[in-house]
Amino acid sequence: MTTQTRRQALALIATAFAAASPAWAQTPIRLGLTPVFLDNDGEVIERLRAALVRGTGRPIELVQRRTYQEVTGLLLEGGVDAAWLCGFPFLQHEARLALLGVPVWRGAPLYQSYLIVGADDPATGLSDLRGGTHAYSDPDSNSGWLVTVSDIVRMGEAPEAFFARTLFAYGHRNVTRAVAGGLTRSGSVDGYVWEALAAVEPALTARTRVISRSERLGFPPFVTRREAVADPAVTTLQAAIFGLNTSPEGQEALRLLQLDRVEAGTPSLFDGIRSRMRDVQGT
Amino acid sequence: MGALTLRLQSLPLSLRLPLIAAGLMVLVGMVASQQVLSALSAVQEERLRELAQLHVDGLAVALGPAVLRRDVWEVYDTLDRATAAGSGQRMVLTVVADDAGRVIAASDPLRAPVDSDVGPLAKGAQPIDAIRLLGAEGHIRIAADLDYQGRRVGRIISELNVADLVAERRAAGLYLLAGNTAATLALAFGGYLAMRRMLKPVARLAGHMGRMEGTLEPIPSTDVPRGDTELARLFQTYNTMSGAVQAKTEAERRLAERERFVSLGRLSSSLAHEINNPLGGLLNATDTIRTYADRPAVVRDAADLLDRGLRHLRDVARATLDHNRMDRSGQPLRPEDFDDLALLFEPEVARLGQHLDWAVQAAVADLQPHPAVLVRQILLNLLLNAAAAAGGAGGVGLYVAADSKALHLRISDTGPGLSDAARQRLLTDDPVQPGGGVGLRLVRDLVRQAGGRIDVARRDRTTEITVVLPAGGSPC
Repeated sequence: MTTQTRRQALALIATAFAAASPAWAQTPIRLGLTPVFLDNDGEVIERLRAALVRGTGRPIELVQRRTYQEVTGLLLEGGVDAAWLCGFPFLQHEARLALLGVPVWRGAPLYQSYLIVGADDPATGLSDLRGGTHAYSDPDSNSGWLVTVSDIVRMGEAPEAFFARTLFAYGHRNVTRAVAGGLTRSGSVDGYVWEALAAVEPALTARTRVISRSERLGFPPFVTRREAVADPAVTTLQAAIFGLNTSPEGQEALRLLQLDRVEAGTPSLFDGIRSRMRDVQGT
Repeated sequence: MGALTLRLQSLPLSLRLPLIAAGLMVLVGMVASQQVLSALSAVQEERLRELAQLHVDGLAVALGPAVLRRDVWEVYDTLDRATAAGSGQRMVLTVVADDAGRVIAASDPLRAPVDSDVGPLAKGAQPIDAIRLLGAEGHIRIAADLDYQGRRVGRIISELNVADLVAERRAAGLYLLAGNTAATLALAFGGYLAMRRMLKPVARLAGHMGRMEGTLEPIPSTDVPRGDTELARLFQTYNTMSGAVQAKTEAERRLAERERFVSLGRLSSSLAHEINNPLGGLLNATDTIRTYADRPAVVRDAADLLDRGLRHLRDVARATLDHNRMDRSGQPLRPEDFDDLALLFEPEVARLGQHLDWAVQAAVADLQPHPAVLVRQILLNLLLNAAAAAGGAGGVGLYVAADSKALHLRISDTGPGLSDAARQRLLTDDPVQPGGGVGLRLVRDLVRQAGGRIDVARRDRTTEITVVLPAGGSPC
């Protein structure tokens, strides 16, 4: 079945479902997205939306913002029903947020943060990068900021003085571009995104080299506000997320996202991040 | 340059003019090519200016806020995406600097690192409204201010790849060169043929004149160009001139020929008297013989008288004949030649009642190297001229001296001296004025022919013309 006909079929199903459903069923479920994955790929976004429409039987509105902070803010104030956030902002607002599910990547709900440099750069570790320029992904990103900053802190150095210049590229792909293009010497990037990029844009990642990988940390989770956990929209969404690997649309979306499935997770998954947060906040 | 000019001048006209025409064609071709190339450059530069202005304007809109915030990533992201979008083929590098000249970001950060000084990159950058494509440089740099919200917030330096434009211009230059060379060669060759064809009659005229060796002969009418062109008129003028020159030469030749007889002609009346005078006595003698045939003494006296008269007549006739005998040309001068002259000249002196002073003091051996006919011609002309100048009861003199080196002839008269016209004839080569005789000019020609000289002097109311003829001069 081609993409077009499949979309048409989905639209028909959605329309039929909407016609037969109560009024709330026509209100779209809003899912906030952060650049924890290949958020620049329209195809991926569309497939994910289609799979969730199929799974929930309701219209899905995927809400993207430039920064994690904006999406987190939207979620906290009720602008979206749920969000695919990084573990770091989840822990920052752990008191108000609840886990919906954690994606499983390469068999586990875990990922790593990569420290990358230009392909020709002789650096072999973080300490070699002192005094250089560095690209972070987002100030609220675990892999794109917290891991590197906490590593610097653990080395006993001041994160704000370690690099001569730092910048936020707001997206892991952007970090990879900044390093590949030579804008900065090094970058902190989501290992999952970098690996996914290596599969779809090998020419880009080939111009970078991973010199350090963090320990395995909790994969960016789907979260919602604690008070919304029982909302029909949220429960419907959660069921759809868990059921992604059971429908053809879901499987296609997972294939594009290079994920296995989404499973229920526990906050203890993010203990590694919690530990790094403590290290940084302690300074 | 001088040698080239000289070499060019030594070329025949039929080659020189086509060469000059070809040279002019080359010059025109070069100027035209230059014009085309500069027009092409102007078009290319205008295109580049528009492109660069669009590029900068677009970037200014997109980058303004980011530059204001000094947002390195935003600036880089915009430049990187703009490069990837296609304009990168022309824009090789774009650098955005803040108003202090520090690089915020560049499309290629390796060439222009963040926070580096933009100065070296801005060096040689041209403002957009004055973009020029100079030389064979494949890249040029432009610089423009980055204005946002009405104020300058930074600078944009862009490196443009103009290799295709340079190549296009070079190709156009080569095509023009090839085309112009071919056209110039063709036109020069055509010009050469046309010029040669046009100048062919001139070459023919020059060739004809070259063959004449001093004489002018008309060009046959078949060789005269058709139509009433300048060249046809030139040929006709040449033919008219050559005819006139020929006629003049012929007239002069006939005049000189006649002059030899003119001097004798002038003596004719005297000679007639000379012959007539004794005739009465001779006739009387024949009457006497007839009347006194029986008186031997009377007959003898009459016969003697008859004999003397006839001998005198014989001498006069011989002298006259000798003067004009062509078979004597080349004969050496003898004392008898002076006697002949005296015989011929004395009747003229007698007729005019003049006094003749005649002195020939020369050895036979010293006379021999000189041609008789030439000397006799010279002397007879000068003596007749002297007699005419001296007038009635005047005096005429001849003094001849000779040594082994030269023959000196001095003719004197008591006349008023040589007129300007006579002097001009005798001493110069100026054209002979009409109205006068050619005797004195003949003397000059003969003396010059013999390698001699003529002096004219006036002393004691006597005109003296001295002719000196070197021994061994040109034989007559």
